[in-house]
Amino acid sequence: MASAVHLDGITKRFPGVVANDDVDLTVERGTVHALLGENGAGKTTLMNVLYGLYEPTSGTVRLDGEPHAFDSPRDAIDAGIGMIHQHFMLVDPMTVTENITLGSEPRKWGGLAVDRAGAREAVVELADRYGFDVDPDARIEDVSVGEQQRVEILKALYRGADTLILDEPTAVLTPQEVDELFEVLDELTAQGKTIIFITHKLGEAMRAADEISVLRDGRKVGTVEAATTTQEELAELMVGREVLLDIDHGTAETGEVVASASEVVVEDDRGVRAVDGVSFDVRGGEVFGIAGVDGNGQSELVEAVTGLRTPDAGEIRFRGEDVTTASRRDRIEAGMAYVPEDRQERGLVMEFDLVENGLLGSQHGRELAANGRIDWAKTRGHAEAIIDEYDVRPPDADAGAESLSGGNQQKFIVGREFERDPELVVASHPTRGVDVGSIEFIHERLLELREQGVAVLLVSSKLEEVRGLSDRLAVAYEGEFVDVVDPDETTEEELGLLMAGERPGGDDGGDEGGGPATTGDGDADEAERNAAADLADAADGERA
Amino acid sequence: MSDAPADGADADADIAAGNDESGSFFDRYTTRALVAGATVAAVVALLLAGLLFPDSLAGTLADALTSENTLAAALRLSVPIAFAALGGIFAEKSGVINIGLEGLLIISAFSAIYVADLTGGVWVGFAGGVVASTLLAALFAVVTIGFRADQIIAGLAVWLIALGLAPFASQVIYGSPNTPTVATSPSITVPVLADLPFFGALFSASPSVYLLFAAVAGSWYVFERTAFGRWIRASGENPKALDTAGVSVTRVRYAAVLISGVLAGMGGAALSLDLGQFTGNGPTMVNGKGFIAIVAYLFGNYNPVGAFLSTMLFAGLDAVQTVLQLQGIGIPRQLIRITPFVIVIVVLALVGRTRLPEAAGEHYETEE
Repeated sequence: MASAVHLDGITKRFPGVVANDDVDLTVERGTVHALLGENGAGKTTLMNVLYGLYEPTSGTVRLDGEPHAFDSPRDAIDAGIGMIHQHFMLVDPMTVTENITLGSEPRKWGGLAVDRAGAREAVVELADRYGFDVDPDARIEDVSVGEQQRVEILKALYRGADTLILDEPTAVLTPQEVDELFEVLDELTAQGKTIIFITHKLGEAMRAADEISVLRDGRKVGTVEAATTTQEELAELMVGREVLLDIDHGTAETGEVVASASEVVVEDDRGVRAVDGVSFDVRGGEVFGIAGVDGNGQSELVEAVTGLRTPDAGEIRFRGEDVTTASRRDRIEAGMAYVPEDRQERGLVMEFDLVENGLLGSQHGRELAANGRIDWAKTRGHAEAIIDEYDVRPPDADAGAESLSGGNQQKFIVGREFERDPELVVASHPTRGVDVGSIEFIHERLLELREQGVAVLLVSSKLEEVRGLSDRLAVAYEGEFVDVVDPDETTEEELGLLMAGERPGGDDGGDEGGGPATTGDGDADEAERNAAADLADAADGERA
Repeated sequence: MSDAPADGADADADIAAGNDESGSFFDRYTTRALVAGATVAAVVALLLAGLLFPDSLAGTLADALTSENTLAAALRLSVPIAFAALGGIFAEKSGVINIGLEGLLIISAFSAIYVADLTGGVWVGFAGGVVASTLLAALFAVVTIGFRADQIIAGLAVWLIALGLAPFASQVIYGSPNTPTVATSPSITVPVLADLPFFGALFSASPSVYLLFAAVAGSWYVFERTAFGRWIRASGENPKALDTAGVSVTRVRYAAVLISGVLAGMGGAALSLDLGQFTGNGPTMVNGKGFIAIVAYLFGNYNPVGAFLSTMLFAGLDAVQTVLQLQGIGIPRQLIRITPFVIVIVVLALVGRTRLPEAAGEHYETEE
């Protein structure tokens, strides 16, 4: 029997980037296939090729053995492929039925009217066949996110989809809704549908999929059976062993506690607890690293520390003061520097030149802007000093930020933040998407700061980077620190286990942890209670 | 509005958002119900007072209100505004804000007279007005949809082009910004019903009034019952959803803007043909009716029937004022004329929360 989907040597190049490099993928009919990888590994690009949004640079797409070349999603839909995007394509004020039938409305009276009763009946029938719980008459804006997702799936099924692609389907769901989704997937495959499901969460891939293909840097690094693989194997495949950047971080004198967090709880934009009771402290002269697969609460934690998001519980202290609700401006003025994870979104104003970008964050300072007036001569000098010191190319302060390469943009941000004379540097993925030379440069500068007694909070999903730079290393998993370890005495395999959420202790005899672990058994229990409470809340929400 | 579902993952947030949602939902409708209820109550109270004290101010007002002339005048005033409002609904629901309705009214008002003058046929003139307005709307569509120009600026351009072009054409052709008069079409009178007190005005009116009733009903039908109406709504709310469903957003929007040209054209042609003349001095005879139309459909919450009723309310105020003036009680016309705008500011800003289509004013481009 020919496989439902067969991608053969798919390569997709964008100007300057190879998003997919010779990827082969075979998905059998009636199975769930997970496509696993870090952000930017090329999962979504690959699926957009299958869905006809992108034309592959080379390679062929086969469905049931037949080669296809899709010009548009329309072609893919006609060939029986449906895609459920991460952002739902639904019209909020219209009803479930109206959304499902949109564009393919059943008609009556020679097309003069929509057959509303017929449409409703078709939707009810379809929902019944797959055991979906949806109210055909509810407006989209009034139903839960989980139900919206079911509507999206029904929309694809209504159009005759045999193969469903789900892009990060669990990202917007509560744990309970995730369970419901997985039941839905089981029902769909039982009835012969094929499902490809994009995710970066190991646990979900193992739970929901029959087979898992791992992508890294645009290449497929392996396909494994979900039943026989382990989370560690997957974590290793995903993160990989990158070229070892030789980082000799030596040891430094650690000083006083500069910043600390206690029992911090942060909710993300959807109101899900992204950070669930995290405590740590960072001392002067030390790099405190946070490792983990993306999306385990690191971003929200960093936002809470830097003042971009208000924690829902807990306390954040900086230089002895409670800054839990302090503004960005107060934190900057107290000596907190921040290298954001998305440099184009938060680090720079792309339309500004480097002189103006160099001023960002100092616009209230006495140095460059005394009495509310910007001293442009000094500001220019400041930008030129950064460019010079941090080797930003081209060395032109009048260049627009958008004209710089990613690595140079990052060096400029790093320079601007490090030159603040900070007490604490919060560096979030400081070398993401940066060339090797710049990576080394940024690493050196970070270690220099540490030498000067600055506290560094480093978040990175690159295992080598956090291991090499950190003095103490916390591993984040589902909003908690699984453990805090001494990176020098912890192997990559052990870290892989931790990143997969396996707690230390038990029969391993947990003796390897050199650092002070903040997450004891008591915390774990509490976390479980919290999780249970969350589920109960979600259930309440469902009833309401 | 659309934030609520996105927020909804956490139960507490969900419930809170849900309450908030239903709160504003209620607000939306209770406010309108309140306005309607207060209007009815005021009218009833006034009529009662008028009955009891026929010689008082209330009595005069009650007389003015119940006069058949008032309803007739209100209907006549409503025609161009309501047609333009219907056109505005089509365009804006599809995601294209058409603030050039005023310009469409002006160009069709002049063209209708010109064509009627040339051919001698009232209905040929009417068709001429519709064609002129549709052509201008087509230009607007090409500029905003095809070339992705800013809709507000392009809409203002439509107004200014028409405001300059129509009186200029009249000047060139007739030597004056005002055209000579042409024949008007007689009223259509339904026997017996036309003799009803007060409501008789509904059955003895110019043909354009009946055409308007048909247009209101037709528009309602299109939005509520046809697939095309749904596509227009989807195109204005979430064009991407429509696009992925395999319907061309561009085509839907072109169609919607052209329909708005046709409807506004009917309004403009009816306006000038009703008087048999186009007057082009100052703001021309259209004199802001296109802008009141925008207010009317916002107040009517994009519902064709609601827009028509709002138009009647505004036109009714104007008509009452005219009747009162004839009876020697002068409320300055200017005050009456600003009421729609005051009402819409209050409604939009303070209480009503008319919900604009999510993607109104935004360009859409298929990503391929």
